[in-house]
Amino acid sequence: MSLNTSSLAQETVRYIRPAKEVMRLGHLGSSHPTRLSFLRVLLRRLASSDWQIDRPVWNVNAKGVGHCVYRAKSTERTYSLVAFAHDLPADMRSDRVIATAWDATFTLFDGDPTAKDIARLADNVPFQEAGRISPKELTLARANRSVRLFEHVVTALSQGRQPDLAEIAAVGYLMRTTAVYGSGKFGASDRADIAQRPELAAPFQVEMLTVWLIRAFTVDIVEHIAAARGGRSAVKLDRDIRRTLGVGNSTGLGMAPFIVRHPVLLNNWMMAREEALARVRAQLTAQSQAVSGLKAALEATIANAAVWRSEHPVQIRKLHDLRRDLALLSNTLDTWDWNGEHPWDALWMWGAQTLTLEGQEALLSLMLEPHGALIDDLADQMGADEAASFRINGAMPVAELRRILESDYAWALKIDFTTPENVARFWYVSEEKLEPRLGERATEEGATLEQPLCIARLISELYATVRNFDGAATVAALMLAHPEHRYVVRRAQITKHHPYAEVQDNLIASDMLPIDLLRCKLAFFGASQFDPRSDRWVRINLFADAPFPDEIDAVGAA
Amino acid sequence: MEPQDQTRGDSTAFFGDAQAAPLSCNEATSLCIKAARGAGMSWGMAEEAGFAAAWLVSHGIDGPTHLRAHLERADGRDWVDLCPSVTPDGWQNANGQPTCPIILGATMCDYADLPEGPASGASIVLGPVSAPILLVPFLSELAQKKGLALTLTWATGAICIDEDETWLQPVKQSLGVPQLALTLSAYNARPHEPSAASTQNAQTTAATIAALNTLAMRTTVPATEASRAGAGSSLSDND
Repeated sequence: MSLNTSSLAQETVRYIRPAKEVMRLGHLGSSHPTRLSFLRVLLRRLASSDWQIDRPVWNVNAKGVGHCVYRAKSTERTYSLVAFAHDLPADMRSDRVIATAWDATFTLFDGDPTAKDIARLADNVPFQEAGRISPKELTLARANRSVRLFEHVVTALSQGRQPDLAEIAAVGYLMRTTAVYGSGKFGASDRADIAQRPELAAPFQVEMLTVWLIRAFTVDIVEHIAAARGGRSAVKLDRDIRRTLGVGNSTGLGMAPFIVRHPVLLNNWMMAREEALARVRAQLTAQSQAVSGLKAALEATIANAAVWRSEHPVQIRKLHDLRRDLALLSNTLDTWDWNGEHPWDALWMWGAQTLTLEGQEALLSLMLEPHGALIDDLADQMGADEAASFRINGAMPVAELRRILESDYAWALKIDFTTPENVARFWYVSEEKLEPRLGERATEEGATLEQPLCIARLISELYATVRNFDGAATVAALMLAHPEHRYVVRRAQITKHHPYAEVQDNLIASDMLPIDLLRCKLAFFGASQFDPRSDRWVRINLFADAPFPDEIDAVGAA
Repeated sequence: MEPQDQTRGDSTAFFGDAQAAPLSCNEATSLCIKAARGAGMSWGMAEEAGFAAAWLVSHGIDGPTHLRAHLERADGRDWVDLCPSVTPDGWQNANGQPTCPIILGATMCDYADLPEGPASGASIVLGPVSAPILLVPFLSELAQKKGLALTLTWATGAICIDEDETWLQPVKQSLGVPQLALTLSAYNARPHEPSAASTQNAQTTAATIAALNTLAMRTTVPATEASRAGAGSSLSDND
């Protein structure tokens, strides 16, 4: 049988889930990491190309204070994580972005740093926002210890024992990052200057490389301190236990606006994922290797769901749904008929009718897992040239703009913004800390300084204007008459060509949960064990169960 | 607000005195968008200001300082006193005020594919334009998109914006002034290819950053106990 690409594409289109379904907060807030997640893209590249990882510098004293360098090197490029380890008093340990001191601070250097570079970085990186880095650096990051697990592991190893597995599973990481900045922040290299490198073309690759190397550091520093404390009786961490450890990450509201502010990027992430699902569903038959791959992935997902903890009521309910759905899926697969036509689509349709949103999004991830050869190329389409869609098309007739609003934004025009519950919140930037926050319109000051993040309401205001505007007039003329709509006209024109660009919900409604936006973005990063600490603040785990630098070649493409 | 308050979530506040400030393009864009919004531009127009300032930075020209100068002059002025009036006779401000280079440039790009826009053979009187160097990023994009050579003429000189970007140095010297009365003429030219040689980013100054930050702070909301309480985790981080 042979398929040409155009018929394949047509065949695939039939199976694509529409944006009006998947771009709702309920779906986005149930996202699971997939093999297209950015950390998986990074691991595949590191495993499949000629990357060598080593640690050329380890200059850390018995208290665990000093600096070290981790290096990822190919024939073309070298990237070096420069890590500074500090001795932080407990009362200064905070996960907030506004903390002033950390257990460890990091930068990813573009190349091999000289002693002079290290000296410059030592004067700046430990101070994070109050320091300054240069275009030779790609990221700036910091991490705090999980006090409980870090001390437990150091104590055990220093006494010649392995740590308690239950303790390891309860936390999942030795340190958690509280910010990983890239894209020109604090003087670092601009994304545009590095995006054309093949290894950095996919989104957030420098950030992911930074975190992956930090993970190696967290184990090395624990073993180092244990050895200093325990002397000859100290042992290294068991490699199977080590493998389960990830890097924690603590993140708040700041991440939510990103999803809204980068519509083309969001579209490309979503479309890649949805096309991947459609390709899998469009297959006429199921290969036995893929079926066993699905079952293996399900086992891993069930194990992950078993150790996944949260104290947040919303997440507790979702975890309950997920565990029940995974058990149901497992039972169903025991007797699933893989010999019918389009068996993957049949499985998907079963899931869509049977499972909660948690279960459906988990099923999506599971169905992609054994189909690397079919879908991994889609990762190349997940970056975005945002400058290319910046210019407004002024020649568009206002009547056409109106049609875009009525079709692509029907979901937004349906919302009644005259009711208090639909305008209950407002997004703003705090003067004190310059961080994004969400206020209550009825009780808090500052709504006149609202950030333009509730796209639905801006669209509805634009629609009120264009309904009474000459349809034959141009958007250019509309922009001169109504400059206040420029921001949202740009978006509407982007959405015309990017159907998955908008989160199709009211982002200022009284019942909106910011953590849904965070979960969507973090799932694309590849985060597991999403754990809300409030309705706008979460912890996650990155790279748990992934290979370490000394294992990456042995495991092949992850 | 302490000048060295390390706990603030921005990226550009820590320069002082006459220190040179090498901003990344991302930082220049972000700061300039907020400052432009603070000075009264709509969010969509403020994005255009961010684009223009960062374009200049990446072409070796201190865009943020030029934008600052313009915003301080335009601060508080109404749209009708800043925007061009698009007529067959020219694109001047209807009230005789100098036009805003951001609004003028963005509007020219809006009209790129329309009969009113600059086409080959056209000559458009722009009249007085504030901080005319900020018009250049828009004209460069327009020239590239439409395959045009765009000539800006004023009483004592002229500059042709075309493919080879040798005009960047003269632009720096002639257009970096508070105001110029300009005429734009367009001719067909070979399409631009962005120059392969990368220019070193321009540095800006601590004074510019401080001034832009002052404008940017107008877009922020003073803290309340409620907002502080909701910002972080409700649980301890020492675990």
